[in-house]
Amino acid sequence: MDMNQTNPNLWKEIYDNKDLLFCYNCSTCISGCPASQADPPLLIRNLARKVILGLEDELFDDDTPWTCVSCSLCEEMCPMDVKPFELCLAVRKWQSKNDETRIPSSIVDIFRRGYTQAVGTNTELRKKLGLPELHVLTKFPEKRKQFQDMLMKTELINENAYMFSEE
Amino acid sequence: MEMGFFLGCNMPAIRPDLERAIRATMPDLGVDLVEMEGYVCCPAFGSFPSTDDESHLAASGWNLSIAEEKEIDILVECGSCYSSLSMGRHLLMEDAKKRAHVNTLLEPTGRSVTGKSKVRHITDVLYNEVGTEKIKQALKHSLQGLHCVVQYPCHTLYPSNIVGFEKSARKPVAMENLVRALGAEVDPFSREHQCCGGAGGFTNNSPKEATAFIKEKFDAILEETQADCIVTSCITCLMHLDNIQKTLNEQLGEEKYTLPVFDYSQLLALCMGCDPAQVACISTMPRDAILNRF
Repeated sequence: MDMNQTNPNLWKEIYDNKDLLFCYNCSTCISGCPASQADPPLLIRNLARKVILGLEDELFDDDTPWTCVSCSLCEEMCPMDVKPFELCLAVRKWQSKNDETRIPSSIVDIFRRGYTQAVGTNTELRKKLGLPELHVLTKFPEKRKQFQDMLMKTELINENAYMFSEE
Repeated sequence: MEMGFFLGCNMPAIRPDLERAIRATMPDLGVDLVEMEGYVCCPAFGSFPSTDDESHLAASGWNLSIAEEKEIDILVECGSCYSSLSMGRHLLMEDAKKRAHVNTLLEPTGRSVTGKSKVRHITDVLYNEVGTEKIKQALKHSLQGLHCVVQYPCHTLYPSNIVGFEKSARKPVAMENLVRALGAEVDPFSREHQCCGGAGGFTNNSPKEATAFIKEKFDAILEETQADCIVTSCITCLMHLDNIQKTLNEQLGEEKYTLPVFDYSQLLALCMGCDPAQVACISTMPRDAILNRF
């Protein structure tokens, strides 16, 4: 590895939190982490190293942050308050910003109908169970438009507006 | 007390019997549920929180502001929704600049975020607001003689400074005391605090390893306890622990893993006299052995 090719300011770009620099590789974030048993394993400690050392190319191609289950046990147990779960999300954000193929399709679903699931389509079953009609976003066209307009004003969505156009 | 009922997506869409159980029990325990018209995804950690701060907090602010407009706190069952809403609120409260920006984005709705509405998990409300004494008084049936194991949802424990309502996230007690209030016994076991592994990308990106991961937990339950069922308080834990047993059995070629899985509100509803056909009718693993008691 050529350390001249690294970006020493990468941590500021990805996760501007000085606590990150106190990470001493103790691996507490890995013990108890469900995704550390994945193939390839999510090793949060290694993510922290890559960010601190500025290993931009390696981090760009690293799929493991997306295996995190978001349980946040690492966040609870980290002795140096690195907030490893937030670091994991920060790496995903940095990847999404620099590589649009990383942007999860779930945000398009949420933009269009408010949710990742098709909430509000099981009306017969709900009626059978004695449940009320759902007050979902799609029932309020004006609110739905306000929600979409709000998201369209945000930078990342605006830059990738083509993904959100209605079919 | 009135609370905004944040439904999330999985419960109303896939397990509406659980929604029925919550709607059937909370008002009788003194918690009136208010609809959150036009609520959106919490947002799920794999969505906006994985793309950028701005849209993430805009979506959080959208939901929080609906409750603030009604001047009520939010009640959540889904662990992920609870955690995402809590973290969104925390990030908006600790950063005045980001909060001001989200409020600018929310302006056309006439709503805003100031932090006055809190996000509460249903376990917290049942244990710390309603209390086990009031629950006991509302029961028509008891689970006496039944052995349960508890799946604590990770998202209701960690990070405790943001989502916590237990005295210690390392030694949570709310759920087991709530289950005991129904008359059941709670069996401890070595992997009691292991995550179900059902949320996020683990099960999709690494299905073989995710299945092996949860198999260890089921084996510990079978070897170390007399459990008749699993009790949890999170839609993801509920669906994953229920559905994955089918996969485990298919891999093994025999029906070894057949534990019924319930959300606490379903057992509570059954004990309060609700019809099993309404509050506990959707599952992968048959639950008749327990439903037949009612």
